Amino acid sequence: MRYLIGRLLWALVVLVGTTWVTFAIAFLVPGDPARVVAGPRADAETVATIRHELALDLPVPIQYGRYLTRLARGDLGRSYATRQPVADILRRRLSATATLACAGLAIAIVIGLAGGLVTAPLAGTWVDRATLIGSLALLSAPVFWLGMLALYYVGFRWRLLPLGGGGDIRHLAMPALVLGIGTGAYYARLLHVNLVTVLGLDYIRAARARGVSRVRVVAVHALRNASLPLVTVIGLDLAALLNGVVLTETVFHWPGLGRLAFDAVLNLDVPVIMGTVLLSATLVVLSNVAVDLIYRVIDPRIRLG
Amino acid sequence: MGTLLVAAALVGPVLAPFDPAAAVAPQLAEPMPPAAPFYLGTDDLGRDVLSRLLYGARISLLVGVIAMIVTMAIGTAIGLTAGYFGGVTDVLLMRATDVMLAFPGLLLAVALVAVLRPSVWTIFVVIGLVSWTGVARVIRSEVLSLREREYVLAARAMGGRNGRILWRHVLPNALPTIVVIAALSTSGTILLDAGLSFLGIGVPPPTPTWGRMIQEATSYYRVAPWLMLFPGVAVLFAVLSFNFIAYGLAGDGRAPGA
Amino acid sequence: MHMVAARGRRLASAVALATWVVAGVLGCARDRLDWPARRSGDRHGGVLSLAAAEDVPTLDPAIGYDTTSWFFEEHLFETLVTYDESSTLIPALAERWEISPDRRRYRFVLAAGVVFSDGTPLTASDVVGSLERVLEPRTRSQGAEYFRGIRGAREFVTGTATHVAGLTALDTGTLAIELAEPDPLFLHKLALMFAAVVPAALAQRLGDDFTSQPIGSGPFVLREWRRGERIVLARNPRYRRSDLPYLDGIVEQIGVNQQLAWLMFESGELDVAQIPPADFPAVMRDPARAEQAIHATTLTTAYLGLNCRMPPLDDRRVRQALNYAVNRAEVIALLNGRGIPARGIVPPNLPGYHGDFPGYGFDPTKARALLAEAGHAQGFATELWTQGADTDVKIAQKIQQDLAKIGVDLGIKLVAWSPFLEAIRQPRTVPIFDLGWSADFPDPSNFLDVLFHSSRWDANNHTFYANPTVDRLLDRARTLADEVERVHLYAEAERLIVEDAPAIFLYHPITYVIRHPRVHGYAIHAFLPARLTEVWLDPEP
Repeated sequence: MRYLIGRLLWALVVLVGTTWVTFAIAFLVPGDPARVVAGPRADAETVATIRHELALDLPVPIQYGRYLTRLARGDLGRSYATRQPVADILRRRLSATATLACAGLAIAIVIGLAGGLVTAPLAGTWVDRATLIGSLALLSAPVFWLGMLALYYVGFRWRLLPLGGGGDIRHLAMPALVLGIGTGAYYARLLHVNLVTVLGLDYIRAARARGVSRVRVVAVHALRNASLPLVTVIGLDLAALLNGVVLTETVFHWPGLGRLAFDAVLNLDVPVIMGTVLLSATLVVLSNVAVDLIYRVIDPRIRLG
Repeated sequence: MGTLLVAAALVGPVLAPFDPAAAVAPQLAEPMPPAAPFYLGTDDLGRDVLSRLLYGARISLLVGVIAMIVTMAIGTAIGLTAGYFGGVTDVLLMRATDVMLAFPGLLLAVALVAVLRPSVWTIFVVIGLVSWTGVARVIRSEVLSLREREYVLAARAMGGRNGRILWRHVLPNALPTIVVIAALSTSGTILLDAGLSFLGIGVPPPTPTWGRMIQEATSYYRVAPWLMLFPGVAVLFAVLSFNFIAYGLAGDGRAPGA
Repeated sequence: MHMVAARGRRLASAVALATWVVAGVLGCARDRLDWPARRSGDRHGGVLSLAAAEDVPTLDPAIGYDTTSWFFEEHLFETLVTYDESSTLIPALAERWEISPDRRRYRFVLAAGVVFSDGTPLTASDVVGSLERVLEPRTRSQGAEYFRGIRGAREFVTGTATHVAGLTALDTGTLAIELAEPDPLFLHKLALMFAAVVPAALAQRLGDDFTSQPIGSGPFVLREWRRGERIVLARNPRYRRSDLPYLDGIVEQIGVNQQLAWLMFESGELDVAQIPPADFPAVMRDPARAEQAIHATTLTTAYLGLNCRMPPLDDRRVRQALNYAVNRAEVIALLNGRGIPARGIVPPNLPGYHGDFPGYGFDPTKARALLAEAGHAQGFATELWTQGADTDVKIAQKIQQDLAKIGVDLGIKLVAWSPFLEAIRQPRTVPIFDLGWSADFPDPSNFLDVLFHSSRWDANNHTFYANPTVDRLLDRARTLADEVERVHLYAEAERLIVEDAPAIFLYHPITYVIRHPRVHGYAIHAFLPARLTEVWLDPEP
């Protein structure tokens, strides 16, 4: 329990550190947020007014202080560009990105499990060699390229699925698939390797000798023990997944966080930038804590630290 | 198998038939499909795709390798220090790594490119800065286990200086892991570079990078699908060859980074 | 065995989460909207389907200055005056007006019986309130500068006065505006969306939230706005013209890029679409489809600004050489021919104006000669800064090719929008930059003054061009009442400017739009977003 509290406190420190670094970078980027809001045609007086209204003429540390105090009250500010409350924007976009990320992850897990389970018993054969090459190829391909190929063939040539945009499950299918395929290949490979190792162990052979069916051996006994590293990887992979999400969202015009954050950085929409970074940082940090905890619960022998 | 692919990827830059920046096709604004003498077709500005692809190989590999060097330098330094010295140093460095990890990598890249003005050098630095965390972690856990080996313990017992021990004992034994990570890292940097170019913030035009070629092809994918097909396959090959190297070196047993 | 249980549970919960999310998404499948049935044999009724890639930034006319926002604001709100198809000012909310002989006092009589879409009457105090709202610093409106010329505006802005002295509601239907100085462009400024009339009290109350709950007096009302998905306008039953609009509604899907929109258009799901560059040649070669495409030359000029203070561009001959070196015909060919070459800065279709100078043709020999004369026979190296939209990059690369032929090595620097804006304001940072200028209103001063007057170095004169003769001409023309004399002065100023070549004048874009045969009355305007008030659809067969 004490460990948990300690971990959470550290997490908080990391988060505050993240906001500080983001703030610094946002102001290091050459460009004037007030000018972007005012637009290229505005005269100097208008820009000055806007700058004053947005408190951008205060020294940066003071602005940071104000941001933190408002943050403590739960106020994330309003977007410079659209005047909407950042919290609302994030909520909406987060559900879109979460949907995509979860769907992608689900597909990756399914592909991983299926791939690993099917190929492990066939280790050493040409099938194994072929799937090795295939899965390596899949995870070597740039995700946005796969996305465009999918758009072209599935969306345009074969007209199976809609060509992008947000909305219902039909729009979700392609981006999720594209997102999940590369990672899925990786998981499949991982599981395959671990399964092969485990399958060679004594207690498995003992089970076979006792007459347990082959399928049960693989699926039940071996899988349990081989999947631990997989679970760890899934938990820590969140950051990489977020990267892939940005690119996928761009190709398919999925209205999620990735695209929002990218545009916000380019337009110096500081409240939105802070909001998205904070959100993603929280997610990553929380998932790290969760994985560490699970590890601890599963095997108290592991020294953390 | 891996070596074959690598050789293919490396030989490319020497052979380009046309100037990748000049318009050589007879018509502008209408890409031409593969046909002699433009073996892979032309793009919407009348440039030969094959030449651009080959020049792009040079750039993409250069970026990939140098960015990997930057990544490895930072990551190994931090990983070694954290793993070997342990204690407070370790905790501080790992927390700093956490902060870096918490940042969405691509966003950081976008922001950094905006700060530093786009150029080839910026891209090296940016990709390096964004990718070192994974390397640091792996090196650190490797060093953590190496630290307890007999020869290290013996060297410390004999009063050896830390620097010497790191250099003579720890580093050479960590080398296999480092090389594997380097190979994997290169495939990662090539992908990241392609991604940045695709988003429009990579190496500036008209230098042909594969990612940018794919991005330029997005409007034409219905009438000229070859424009996006070939660069994508090129990236695939390059990344695949480095993954092969990594796999070949690590053997089938290990999955580094787990 | 608790090891196994924990692992199993985690996997199971991951799967459960995924299923739940997917189910939730399924549940939110797009709802169908209901529209009234069409009366037969009538223009009225029908819903126009559109699509766009990006969401609308805002619906608040005080802050929405980009084309997308403007398009929707045009349909939700109205201004005192507006433009017809030939860019002449015509009455809108103001039925008639008088201007005093000293051209400083305006008196507007509002159309009778106008109400906002929520039923509240539109009065002169609402007009006053709308303009004051734009001037108020709290609103952060980019349009404030257009109304600073009203008497008492400055005191209002600094907080010294609680109201703008020059804005008076004489009664509910009459409004008086007094300017500090005569301004021949003031009526044009009242046609900008910034001057749209909003319910003053409501807007004050809602503040920044007005953008999601816009109430106006325009032909349409906001029916639904699902951000990132779609935006829906419906007919305003309380609109002051009972016969308009014909349409029952407008639906725009969001997140649809150009290629997807094209496919949707071809399958009949969209009524109006842009033609992607990749498909343009094919469409134009097909007579049936070419007929459905309409186009108009916009009041826009695309140019490459040359920093007149950075060597070697400070030498006029070098700048002229660059102008001669660019093959504008080929640049336009790259755009599928969707443009006309620019001889100067003011577009040729600006009503009532005619520039009188030859302009620069394609003449690389002359270019090289000029360079040699200026002492740069070996050429030189310089940089073009651009913010990287697709077309811009293409054109930049083409110009790079052209300049290479006269020995000029042009590097291309891609910079994101905000650093770009900052950089071009610095006096010695950016040698050449890629920009365009679209008219705010159809007047030569909107191009010449704004871009080339020496007092605008901190505003939009990024070439840092300064010519005292030109300044004098522009200053004199600014307040002249005699139209003929004004045009004459501007033409002379432009001639001098073109001779000095502070920019490489490229082209004026031609906008193309393709519409489904069932769409009628759709027209492209030279500088305003298309208005759908008088568009009607053929009834369904």
